[in-house]
Amino acid sequence: MAKEIFMPKLSSTMEIGTLLQWFKEEGDQVEIGEPLFEIMTDKINIEVEAYEEGILLKKYFGIDEEVPCNYVIGYIGEKNETVPAVSPGLAGSDENSEEKAEVKVEAKAENTVESIQTMAVAGEKVRATPAARSIARNEQVNLELVQGSGPKGRIHQKDVQAFILNTPEGVRISPLAKKIADNEKVNVGDLTGSGAHGKIVKNDVVNVLQKEQIAEQQAASSAAPARKKLSGMRKVIAERMIKSVTTAPHVTLTSDIDMTKVKELRAQLRPRIEKQTSLRLSFTEVILKAAGTVLARHPKVNATLVNDEIIYSKDVNVGLAVAVDDGLMVPVLKNVDEKGLSQLTVEAKDLAKRAREQKLLPDQMKGSTFTVSNLGMYAIDAFTPIINLPETAILGIGRIQDKAVVENGTIVVRPMMVVSLSFDHRAIDGAPAAEFLTELKHVLENPFELLV
Amino acid sequence: MSKSYDIAIIGGGPGGYVAALRAAELGKKTALIEHDFLGGTCLNRGCIPSKTLLKHAEIIESIHAAKEWGIETGELSFSLEKMKKRKDDVINKLRGGIAFLMKKGKIDVLDGFGSIETPNKIKVLKEDKQEVIEAAKIIVATGSSPAVPPIPGLKEVSFFTSDTIFDINKIPSHIAIIGGGVIGVEFACIFASLATKVVIIEMADRLVPNEDSEASKLLEKELKKKGVQIFTSTKVNSVEKSDLGNRILCTDQKGNEVIVDTQELIVSVGRKPNTAAVSNLNLVMDGPFIKVNEKMETSVTGIYAVGDVVGGYQLAHVASAEGIVAANNTAGEQDTIDYKVVPRCIYTLPEIASVGMTEAEAIAKGLAVASEKFDHVGNGKALAAGETSGFTKIIYEKKYGEIIGVTMVGPHVTEMISEAAAFMFLEGTIEEAAKMIHPHPTVSETFYEAAQRIEMKLRAPLKV
Repeated sequence: MAKEIFMPKLSSTMEIGTLLQWFKEEGDQVEIGEPLFEIMTDKINIEVEAYEEGILLKKYFGIDEEVPCNYVIGYIGEKNETVPAVSPGLAGSDENSEEKAEVKVEAKAENTVESIQTMAVAGEKVRATPAARSIARNEQVNLELVQGSGPKGRIHQKDVQAFILNTPEGVRISPLAKKIADNEKVNVGDLTGSGAHGKIVKNDVVNVLQKEQIAEQQAASSAAPARKKLSGMRKVIAERMIKSVTTAPHVTLTSDIDMTKVKELRAQLRPRIEKQTSLRLSFTEVILKAAGTVLARHPKVNATLVNDEIIYSKDVNVGLAVAVDDGLMVPVLKNVDEKGLSQLTVEAKDLAKRAREQKLLPDQMKGSTFTVSNLGMYAIDAFTPIINLPETAILGIGRIQDKAVVENGTIVVRPMMVVSLSFDHRAIDGAPAAEFLTELKHVLENPFELLV
Repeated sequence: MSKSYDIAIIGGGPGGYVAALRAAELGKKTALIEHDFLGGTCLNRGCIPSKTLLKHAEIIESIHAAKEWGIETGELSFSLEKMKKRKDDVINKLRGGIAFLMKKGKIDVLDGFGSIETPNKIKVLKEDKQEVIEAAKIIVATGSSPAVPPIPGLKEVSFFTSDTIFDINKIPSHIAIIGGGVIGVEFACIFASLATKVVIIEMADRLVPNEDSEASKLLEKELKKKGVQIFTSTKVNSVEKSDLGNRILCTDQKGNEVIVDTQELIVSVGRKPNTAAVSNLNLVMDGPFIKVNEKMETSVTGIYAVGDVVGGYQLAHVASAEGIVAANNTAGEQDTIDYKVVPRCIYTLPEIASVGMTEAEAIAKGLAVASEKFDHVGNGKALAAGETSGFTKIIYEKKYGEIIGVTMVGPHVTEMISEAAAFMFLEGTIEEAAKMIHPHPTVSETFYEAAQRIEMKLRAPLKV
């Protein structure tokens, strides 16, 4: 009985995946645990392992094709088994093949930067982004003729569009000019040809090179700023931030929290947890635990907004913003409300380490319902965090600082911490958000509440 | 009331009449002023008559060669009168062609000697008749004339130049040619085929000194085979009358005296520009030539100049190209001349054709070039035709395989050079030349073969 291989759904927002490469050919023997194919989602790219053994009977999609989640992309079975000629669509829709060939995501996730690089060398001569390939396919453009503007000549969507717009036959360029342009990495799409009908000739390329040379010399002589193209993870972050800020109406509430008791709690628990796990309990874990506990009591804040639908999640999965080299990742702690501080410490430290080493598993990056962003290790009192869509709220943590506060009519010194809650006003109104934050303050100021 | 034109062109040669046609095509009211026949030096005293006679020379050579191949014709005889008649027929037909084109283009052809009075007025003088026309823009295409060097005694003897040689009415027994440039070597071939004893005296160290040195070496060898006596690095001191006709006294490189006795004498040491038409204007000059920019504009607004009068290549096809650029500019379009790809042809037997730079020029310019030569001995068609004396040489830039220049020697190479020129103009590289399927058997395969050899060389370092 042939078993379906389908496009795995790796996150709540993932709708399609791009098939980057197959590691097996049709007719190849596949063993359990062997990498079968590689895909890219909007966040990461990963190798997918076979969870069944047998013969790879059919591949319905080729390299760089975009496939909706859970679509059947192939079959594993026994030799000479018959399978449909075209993909039956969603996995499980074919009644004859109820048994699905499960796939296990290979435990070697790579970050986005790497994934794009991997894609570029994935057995193809032409470097192009999936979007570029998609347009090229639809418009029947030969990508070999398109000059890429990205690093190492990678073809972007705009390059293909420029190619299509330029002339029906594409950029007109003399063979000599093309050789020079290719060698010198000149984007001929940007050139104006001086030859017949705008054909690009040697002089056009050489002139640009000379101008660049002059510009470089000038730049070198006047301490020009370093320039870096927005690419890889930075680009993903940029896109996600813009989307969040432009689509979610942000409201930020702040509250000043007396951390005296949390400090005491931490001081008492730290040796014990350190003995148990060899890890130091930090404020982050206590705050995560408090946020998780309060979220469980305030389902209106523990929500995601997907396609005009607010999903109130039963699980409290809190994302933790982790700074990594030239970027930011948000690994997810599952069911925070149900876990003890010891377990949270182990998990949070592991996730942060994996994030920095770019070794997060896909499962560790999805399913979050809320995010905590802690800048308390810096001299930051408070800030207005940007919501990590499709979540509807995010908690920003400032530093703990001794401040003079008035208590029962007298001025006392207390370790104070400002927290900021940004919420998506499309999904959450001011009152429930304020209730959440008020209770969080209460819990942190009276941490025994965590035991309730 | 004088006639008024948008554009007036002085000189009806290949620079002038082509400019006139273009100006008319662009809708301009155009006048073409010519005091002699339309077609200029090229048609009347240059390219066309010499090529007609050279065809005769080629046939005579073929007949001699045919004897060795077993094709007997009996005793060879020729009539100079008939040959000249055919030459004149060809010229007349072409003159008629140009006249027809002028008429069709509604171009006023004014018969007379044109000279510019003021930047908008041209005086057209024909014997005692004089007419002044007005023109918004003027193109000077007055050409050049054979230069006669100040050699002592030359004025006292009778001699020919390329202007007068076609009027010769008897095949001379001996002819000496002072100047072994393009014109000199072509006449040497014509007269050698007519069984005249030919002597060439050239001041430079080789014939056609502007061309590839291997090409001139091969030409010298072939001319010597035809019985032509060649003195290079030899300076003419004086000319005097002798019993045979003329005696030329020269000094060779080592300082030895060389005496050449000859019946007739051709002086072909170069050409000087005809600038009488612009003598009233205070134009900025470039040596003896009119100085122009790449739009063919002179220093006076509205006055353009093209062809031999501006110096440069002094080739009919360059004059025509310049004429079109000038006409486009006078008509308000923006055009500039590009001399990168100018084919040059010498119609000797064998012919020499070249385009772009010679290897020496490219090296002098600091380019990283190399060259590859393919001999006609290795070409099937050349062997079949019994014409194995020749080669194709490609000068190429080593990084991208750009074709920098091509020199070809051999029969029909003046036709073949256009392929090389097209490759260069369209910026095809060695790679494309080596890939393009060439017809077989043809002599043009030598270009292909040379390109393939280069491609292998360029590819070789990558295999390491």
